[in-house]
Amino acid sequence: MSDANNLTYESVQIGDALGPAEVYLSKDQVRAYAKACGMWTPRFTDDEGARKEGLPGMITPGNMSLAILSKLVTDWVAASGARIVRMGTTYRQPVMPDHTLTLQGFVTHKNESDRTAEMDIWIESDEGDRLVIGTATVHFPR
Amino acid sequence: MTVDYDPALIGRVFETTEPVPVTGEQIATFCAAIGETNPLYTDAAAAQAGPFGGLVAPPSFAVTFRNGRHFFEHIPRYGKQGFDAGKDVEFVTPIRPGDAVTLNSHVKEIYEKTGRTGSMVFVIVRSTLTNQNGEVVAHVDHRFMNRP
Repeated sequence: MSDANNLTYESVQIGDALGPAEVYLSKDQVRAYAKACGMWTPRFTDDEGARKEGLPGMITPGNMSLAILSKLVTDWVAASGARIVRMGTTYRQPVMPDHTLTLQGFVTHKNESDRTAEMDIWIESDEGDRLVIGTATVHFPR
Repeated sequence: MTVDYDPALIGRVFETTEPVPVTGEQIATFCAAIGETNPLYTDAAAAQAGPFGGLVAPPSFAVTFRNGRHFFEHIPRYGKQGFDAGKDVEFVTPIRPGDAVTLNSHVKEIYEKTGRTGSMVFVIVRSTLTNQNGEVVAHVDHRFMNRP
């Protein structure tokens, strides 16, 4: 397990963990995100409006899921100078606010030629379902 | 299986937005909304000494730029149900307060996939973000899934 503050290409090992980090997204926080990002539509702001769109209740924007997963990676990288260069997400199930989410991941590959590490990352519900899955690539400067 | 589409669609930029100014306040509001407290993104003085030599936006800020008004009119649809299945983002240049970001969008790829629940058509739309210096900031690939 590498020390986050001194993270280097050399210190990272395949299998190293990111997180787990618990995040509780309240409805107000989701609304704050929707407002900040110009996504003020019923599905992201109120239960009643979301139900009219056929959803179980208000949901978290996909971009917000991407943002909290990206934060999992940038928290891991911390101030080491390494940089996230690529990230992909797949939205498998709606992420509902007012639930505790667990963010985690692990390093799957290292590429010596370009000094990058790849990782699998995901958001898990309090029932253990992987709601959002993704991958990220981090580049380490020399 | 192949899906029908006009090959001339692929790669043709269908929309270019006006430059969108990025303010320090917007970055701060975004950080607050996602619970971001990393000084690289929240504290200009601390960020000065960091790897970016100044405050930058969290990488995921790149996906918050709105597409132009006619974006969805240019995206081919197959069947009634279309939704955002995910994103692939390439982060190239950090976004800084004072930047002005332009989006250019094109259809990158259209393909069909058959899964357990039947056939799906994926339309990949790439928005390339460029800053006021002409540097590419990010490529954001939107993966739209359609059920014919």
